[in-house]
Amino acid sequence: MAELVAGGSVTFGDDLAVVAALRARDERAFVELVRTHGPTMLRVAMLYVRSRAVAEEVVQETWLGVLSSIDRFEGRSTLKTWLFRILTNVAKTRAEREGRSIPFSALGAADLEHDEPSVDADRFLPEGERWANHWASSPRRFDALPEHRLLSAEAMGVIQEEIDRLPEAQRAVATMRDVAGFGSDEVCEALGISEVNQRVLLHRARTKVRRALESYLEEDE
Amino acid sequence: MKLADDLTCADLVELVTEYHEGALSPPDRQRFEEHVVFCEGCASFLDQMRSTLTVLGRITEEDFAPETMDELLRAFQEWRRE
Amino acid sequence: MIAYKFLGAGGVGPFSGFAWPLPRGRSAGPWVEATPSLCSSGIHACLVSDLPYWLNSELWEVELDDPVRSTRKLVAGRGRLLRRVEAWNRDAMCAFAASCAERTAALADGSDALAGYSADTAVFAARGQASAAAFVSARAAETASGPAGYDAERERQARWLADRLGLCT
Repeated sequence: MAELVAGGSVTFGDDLAVVAALRARDERAFVELVRTHGPTMLRVAMLYVRSRAVAEEVVQETWLGVLSSIDRFEGRSTLKTWLFRILTNVAKTRAEREGRSIPFSALGAADLEHDEPSVDADRFLPEGERWANHWASSPRRFDALPEHRLLSAEAMGVIQEEIDRLPEAQRAVATMRDVAGFGSDEVCEALGISEVNQRVLLHRARTKVRRALESYLEEDE
Repeated sequence: MKLADDLTCADLVELVTEYHEGALSPPDRQRFEEHVVFCEGCASFLDQMRSTLTVLGRITEEDFAPETMDELLRAFQEWRRE
Repeated sequence: MIAYKFLGAGGVGPFSGFAWPLPRGRSAGPWVEATPSLCSSGIHACLVSDLPYWLNSELWEVELDDPVRSTRKLVAGRGRLLRRVEAWNRDAMCAFAASCAERTAALADGSDALAGYSADTAVFAARGQASAAAFVSARAAETASGPAGYDAERERQARWLADRLGLCT
C-alpha cells in the first residue's frame, strides 16, 4: 500500500544543485527557493505565533539563518527538512519570547478527549437493518467531477477555511503533514507529541476537511 | 471474512488514517482491504480521502507580496557582499 | 511460483495505485520489487482459493519469487505479470454474480431471514457487481449454517472461477 504523500513541492534541480548555487551566491536559486517554500513556511510559522506580521518576521529571520548557515548544510537531511527545522526553531523561540509557549502535547491531550464520529452517523444504516452501520448510500468520488471544480481556487478556499477552523493541534498536524509534506517523525519532533497522538489528530483533521470538501462539491448539484 | 470478524463501514471510516499510515495490525489491514473489495461505498470514501489529500497538498498562496520578496533580495545581496 | 492477481482497470494495484509494468507480446513483464512505498509487506497475489475475496476488473497470472503464505494471500519480495486472464471479462463477472444470486435464492427458499440477502444478490447480479454479490452470498450462507457455511460458499465461488477461467488449481 503506497504512502499517501501530500504537499510535494517542486524545486529546480536536486538539493545538491540548489545548495551549490546558493553557496555560489546565485540570486536566481535563492528566489526559486523562496518562491517554492515561502508560502508554506508562512503557514507553518503561523501555527506557532498568532499574528501574520510576526509570522512574516519569523520567515524573514529564517531565510537569514538559512543563508548564514548554508555553508554548514551537510546534506544529512533534505534541504526542505533542514529549512523547516530552522523555521520551527525560530518560531518556537519567538513564541516563547512573546510569552506564548506552545505545549502542543497539552493542547493535544484536551483535543484527544473530544470524540465525534469521523462521518455523520446518519450516513450509515441504523441498528436493526440487515446492513446496519453500512453506508446508506455510497459517497461520490470527487474525481467523478470535473477537475476544475476540485482544484479550483474556490475549493482551495473552502479547504483553507476548514483548516483555519480546526482546533489548534489538529491544524498544526494537518498543516505540517498534508500541506507542508513533512514526515510523521518530523512532525512528532517539531510538536513534541507521540506518534499515536499525531495520528489521532491527523485523522480528525483529515475527516473534517473531507467533509467540508464533500459539502462544497455537492452544493450545486 | 466471517461475521464475528466483520468490519462495518462505520468502523472502517474510523480506521482510514491508521490504514494510510501503515499502523493497522496485519489482521486489521486484511479485514480493511477485504471490505473495500466488495464495498463500493468504502471504496468511494477512500477515494474521497485520496482526493482530499491531493487538494491539501496543493494549497499554496499564489500571491507573494512583492515587498516581502524585495526585502529578502536586499538581505540576500547584503549577505552576498559579506 | 505461479499465482494470480487482481488489478484495477489499466493494470493498476487496487490499494497501492501502482501501475504494474505489463507484459509485451509473449514475454513476461519485468520483475517488480516490493519497496516500502509500494507496500511494506511485499507483493501480494492469490491462490485460486483466495480469488473470491479479491475480485477486481482485471485478472493476471503472475510469477512470485519465493512467496510466503499469509491469510488469504501470498506475499513475496518480488513478482512479475505473466499474462492477462482474458476469460475474466465483463461477461464472466456477470455470470459469476448470477451464480451467487442463484445460490442465495436457492438457500433463501422459504426462509424469511435470508430473503433480504437473496434480494441483495439479485440486485448486485443485475448490476454485474461481482465482489458485492460474492460477499453477500457468503454472508447468507453463514447466516444459514454458520462459519462453515461461509467457507463452503467461498469454496464454491473459487471452484466456479477455476472452471470458468480454466485456472490451474
